[in-house]
Amino acid sequence: MESGKVLDAIKTLLVERLKFDPARAADITVHTSLPKGIEGSLGLDSLDFIELAMGIEERCGVMIDDQEDLAPHFKSVGALVDFVASRQSGR
Amino acid sequence: MTDPSLAPSVLAPLSGAEEGGRVPPRWYSHAYNRPEVYRLAAAMGWLPRPARLGLARALGRAARRFFPAERAVVRATLEVMTAASGARLDELTAGVFRDFAMCFSDLVTTNRQPSTRLAEHVSQARGTERLERLEGGLISLTAHVGNWELAGRLLALRSARPTHVVVAEEEVRALKRWVRRDGDGVRFVPRSAPTVSLQLVAALRRGEVVAVQGDRALGTRGDVLVPFFGRPAPFPLGPFILARALRVPLVPAFCMLDSDRRYEVTVPEPLTVAAGSEEEALRTWVALLEDTVRRHPTQWFNFFDVWNPIPG
Repeated sequence: MESGKVLDAIKTLLVERLKFDPARAADITVHTSLPKGIEGSLGLDSLDFIELAMGIEERCGVMIDDQEDLAPHFKSVGALVDFVASRQSGR
Repeated sequence: MTDPSLAPSVLAPLSGAEEGGRVPPRWYSHAYNRPEVYRLAAAMGWLPRPARLGLARALGRAARRFFPAERAVVRATLEVMTAASGARLDELTAGVFRDFAMCFSDLVTTNRQPSTRLAEHVSQARGTERLERLEGGLISLTAHVGNWELAGRLLALRSARPTHVVVAEEEVRALKRWVRRDGDGVRFVPRSAPTVSLQLVAALRRGEVVAVQGDRALGTRGDVLVPFFGRPAPFPLGPFILARALRVPLVPAFCMLDSDRRYEVTVPEPLTVAAGSEEEALRTWVALLEDTVRRHPTQWFNFFDVWNPIPG
């Protein structure tokens, strides 16, 4: 899945699984931050990250079972797109 | 498993501490949650356990006089839980401080023994064989009753899998050596950021154990009001959402001090959480907790108003 399609998949997840307003999801860019506590972020809390991780597993076929700290990969939409795309390509 | 501090929590519910715009309660910040108290308790470790617990018992009974606010809350809580009054209620109130002191003394001494020796302090273990039948990841669910930290360590040993204990960020860093010591397959995961749940998702995917406390709401959207001793009280839904999402069982566990000053470990039937039934599973857990507290009211170690814990 190319980066653009991963971004679309993440936006779809935010709307369908995390119940974001579609209009708000449409404004999301790779620069948008995800965790709450960061100004201008989507404001995701720990429960949201569970749903997002599960959605990525199901929709993108990427298993979230890493030993390493995953927080940097979920810091922004762009970081998440890169993480998913690299996993899909086996990098 | 683990909240070693006096009254405070180490094992905290999932979610919370990250809820913008609201100040979550900080159960663990008490004036007496200080290194000196831990050091003193740990220093008693050289005493034979019966003598040490006898001393702790006496100190606990005496200590209640110095904590009028906590004593008042404990008394009011016990009044609801037991319907006791008068001298009987006074006796139960003193019993909470007494039992807490004994469990706290064990926390900083007995619990720190090599895990292979912990079983010596267990008089009875009911349902622990259920753990051996479970494959893959699971969530261990405990509460601030009895010696919950010992329960967690024993279950980590029994499950033979790495255990990730979700804890509140320790405000008093100096306490870490007493309350957050990794080892014997136990690893503490501070709930310092919303992304902490990703670590738990990954651990469960690897077939490991996540241990959480299921009795303290944090003032977040993850709190749900559930009847507790006939009155609505907020409890955290996060562990149940995690269990449903990962399709892993929740395994309740209690470790209660008995009259011989050994521990009875009880592992009730694991809970499975289907989509849409998270709140139902939470209510089942709260009923189990209520039943345990009803039988051991002096081992309910939450020194705050559980029915109205969120300031304001």
